[in-house]
Amino acid sequence: MSRVAEFLTRRRGGSGWDWTDIFTWVWLIAGIFVMFGPAVWLVLSSFKTPAALAEFPPTVLPMATEQVMVEGYDNPLELYSVSMPDGSEQVLAQVRRVGTIAQMVDPDAPDEIVKVNIAERTPQRRVAFATENYVVPLEQNDFLLYLRNSVFVTVMATIITLLTNSMAAFALSKYRFRGRDGVMLLIVATLMVPLSVILVPLYSVVNAVGLFDSLWGVILPTVATPTGVFLLRQYMLTIPDELLDAARMDHASEWQIYWRIILPLAAPALAVLAIFSIVWRWNDFLWPLVVLSRKELYTLQVGLNTYAGELNVQWHYILAMTVVTMIPVVLVFVFLQRYITAGIAGSGLK
Amino acid sequence: MATRSISSRIGAVLAAPVIWLARLLNLPLKWWQGMTGTGGMAAFFLAPNMAIFGIFVLLPLVINFAYSMTSGQALFLSDRSYVGGEQYARLMDCGNYLDPTTCREDLFWIALRNTALFVVVQVSMMTVVAMITALILNREIRGRGFWRAVFFFPVLLSPVVVGLIWRWILQREGLLNFILYNVGLEPHVWLTDRFYSFVATVGVSVWAHMGFYTLILLAGLQAIPRDLYEAAEMDGTRAGRVFWRITLPLLMPNLLVVIVLALIRAVQIFDEAYVLTGGGPGTSTLYLTQYIYEVGFASLLRNPGLAAAASIIMGLILVVLTLIQLGLGRRNEKAGERK
Amino acid sequence: MGQITLSDIQRAYGNVKVLHDINLDIADGEFVVLVGPSGCGKSTLLRLLSGLDKPTAGRIEIDGKDVTQVSAADRGLAMVFQSYALYPHMSVRQNLAFGLENIQMPKAEIAERITEAARMLEITDYLDRRPGQLSGGQKQRVAIGRAVVRNPTAFLLDEPLSNLDAELRISTRAEISALHDRLKTTMIYVTHDQVEAMTLADRIVVMRAGRIEQVGRPLDLYNTPANLFVAGFIGAPRMNLLPVKIAEAGPQSVRVEGAGGLSIMVAADGSALQPGTDATLGIRPHDIRTGTGGDGSFTATVDLMEALGPETVAHATTDDGQKILAVLNGQDTTKAGDGISFAFDAGRTHLFDAEGQRLPPPRT
Repeated sequence: MSRVAEFLTRRRGGSGWDWTDIFTWVWLIAGIFVMFGPAVWLVLSSFKTPAALAEFPPTVLPMATEQVMVEGYDNPLELYSVSMPDGSEQVLAQVRRVGTIAQMVDPDAPDEIVKVNIAERTPQRRVAFATENYVVPLEQNDFLLYLRNSVFVTVMATIITLLTNSMAAFALSKYRFRGRDGVMLLIVATLMVPLSVILVPLYSVVNAVGLFDSLWGVILPTVATPTGVFLLRQYMLTIPDELLDAARMDHASEWQIYWRIILPLAAPALAVLAIFSIVWRWNDFLWPLVVLSRKELYTLQVGLNTYAGELNVQWHYILAMTVVTMIPVVLVFVFLQRYITAGIAGSGLK
Repeated sequence: MATRSISSRIGAVLAAPVIWLARLLNLPLKWWQGMTGTGGMAAFFLAPNMAIFGIFVLLPLVINFAYSMTSGQALFLSDRSYVGGEQYARLMDCGNYLDPTTCREDLFWIALRNTALFVVVQVSMMTVVAMITALILNREIRGRGFWRAVFFFPVLLSPVVVGLIWRWILQREGLLNFILYNVGLEPHVWLTDRFYSFVATVGVSVWAHMGFYTLILLAGLQAIPRDLYEAAEMDGTRAGRVFWRITLPLLMPNLLVVIVLALIRAVQIFDEAYVLTGGGPGTSTLYLTQYIYEVGFASLLRNPGLAAAASIIMGLILVVLTLIQLGLGRRNEKAGERK
Repeated sequence: MGQITLSDIQRAYGNVKVLHDINLDIADGEFVVLVGPSGCGKSTLLRLLSGLDKPTAGRIEIDGKDVTQVSAADRGLAMVFQSYALYPHMSVRQNLAFGLENIQMPKAEIAERITEAARMLEITDYLDRRPGQLSGGQKQRVAIGRAVVRNPTAFLLDEPLSNLDAELRISTRAEISALHDRLKTTMIYVTHDQVEAMTLADRIVVMRAGRIEQVGRPLDLYNTPANLFVAGFIGAPRMNLLPVKIAEAGPQSVRVEGAGGLSIMVAADGSALQPGTDATLGIRPHDIRTGTGGDGSFTATVDLMEALGPETVAHATTDDGQKILAVLNGQDTTKAGDGISFAFDAGRTHLFDAEGQRLPPPRT
């Protein structure tokens, strides 16, 4: 133990602790709880039964009262540990509760009803994961449909983004033509035009081209990302022009140069853009909310919000589906976090 | 090496559907290149992106102005009647600009006031928290990569997920109240209290985005040459003085970027606040984007013209902020040249 | 065949003219080196030849066919780039095959050509490596190999040795020369290094500021440079150029006088010259010896003597402040600060008029 402490507290120059070190570690430890805590709490809560969710104070781990099938009863009965009048502890199953009196039976002797004051009994509980929170909404509600819509939107939008953005970036980085700087300026300028500023006219444009209430209406307006063009162009500028000349001498057409030379060489930048695009499109909310009206077209984000907005909020399903919604992003985070952080630090892009 | 192979593998997978298409396209494109030369090819490469960009970004940007000068509920511009500046006049029709209740469009002014308040509080909190975190992550701590990831984690979460997580935690019988109860503090009904719901939207959005700004600041801190600190140490400079006289001035460009980016984003606050509070209770967390959304789409008496006018006002605010950013950037460049 | 003709080639970028009326004939199988200081337009000329860039005016013919507007791919030329321009994401084999695949050559023939070229250039062992795993010299061979497999009508080489270290440069130079002897294909080679030009070329084209200064065989350029620029550019160490005055000028000979008691009669046609005008007398450092016994001599003060063993390099200054470099045979005991007397023969001098042009040979 002391070795661990020594390891953790070792500092440059071996000097002692001062207040900044204490503050650093307090901040970092608190950071773990504040940053990870809510997500962990969400995951733990998502495995709780509705009854456990309604409990206050809540338990950390998902708990469920043990149940047992008792002869003569159709439904499983909940098990309680009861302090008997003679002072002994006994495990009984509860048949029903009337006021403060619970009618209970011994599972081994199901014929005899014992009446117990509810203050005398505590539920027999163990850790139990209510996986039905996940299974039911995916099977019975439309969540599987939403999931499919979200995957479709994310995958298609990302492929189109990579393709169109890289083509434009190629033209803007490797060709000289009149108006090139103008086009570049236009693209960079619209970096500052957020969706909320053009929400109303964009809606009417999407309607006019017949894409209202379709997944393509969600996809197309998002794919010509100025950030993507900008990022790819900056990267392609570092590919030497001599390579293109060499390919031209090698009988390559301009199109072949694009897909045999430029695309493979821009793979690192394409990967960064792909990661960003996946996260962006998966997380999109306002635009799908505006453009989708039929329920069966909802993406996960819109569907979740709709369920969370209902009068009778079914938290056990919503929490579970929130976890499902979070999974791809967490996977991206776990495996690709280094690239993303490097990308942001390098370009200030999000 | 490992980074290269992984990223190129991802590239290969993503390129797979492209390859088939690419082979197919080569012949017609060779013909096109023969007809038009490389200039025609540049046009070809630009065309898809610029077509989408033109239809879905530039065109809406332009017709937004026309839209804001029409009235009625009709969707297409041709069916709408021209009213000139009436929508703007309606937004600006106020007895006293400091008191939204005297305004004709009181919701707009409430949203504007809420947004302004949100921007000021959120950006200052964000900057301070991100700054402290970046300074700490820049120290010689073990496992810096891990800690950086800890603070970055929420950045990737969707606003809806963020909103729902916190709605769950902040509810009456939620985790926060449980903790407060256990340490002997008074629980609150966070999301149905006018003041606390505002605080919640600020806190949650800081929680969700601080990792991003921390990264930018950290990159700036790490770009400050080590020997400057060593020289200061040789001179016996106190830690506080080192921060104010070395770290802060050299970090200024990054800090300005952070502040302006945070400002621009804060003005647009919508998703997580909308999911968290729905703008309520009452109008205490109604922000500009939600106002535009509700006037344009959600309310029974929707008025796209009014929403367009409001969005243009919001756009103007963003343009001003962007110009400030560009101006500051230029000043920094000049300062850099002088050095 | 690889006979190339350039007529009246011009190239301008906006208002900036980088090539002025270039005329050049290159015979089939010839090794032509374009040499000149950076910015002289030699690389631009090579790009115009390759088809990667098009001239503003003029005509380019290959084997009598006008190819001025023909694209780079269809001119049948191959190019070796300064940075090698190997495709970093392809193996050496794929690099060699890329151009052949693009013209739908049968796989078997591609493989055969690659094997042949790899054997010739000794790159067989690393055909399956990527360029990033190769040394500079190996990359250079691959770059040449990529040109060789194309079996081009002519090779264009753009400063191919400039990224190699000194030792490798010398050996690769010899290999390129051997390759040319073997393939007997036209090669057009751009460099700023006059040693490369001298050692490799059948003919050298000296360029400056977008113009051709002189075209000729290496020794012709060395022995009879047409003007001051070529005189200064070709030959190492650089030719001494002494400012002199014309003393007497006739159609058979010209007598010039300079500082340090210099006075010499040079065989040249000076009938166009007026006595008293300025001229420049060029003497290569190797053509100077100590003493007074020559057609001409002058005195100077020694600044530095560099003893290299078989020869001694003398740095000296004449009375009027002109720097002189002399490469003296054997070893010399003169010290810095001492006076020295230099002698030379009239037949080894070069006389240029006030415009920097070489005087014509004496009239017969």
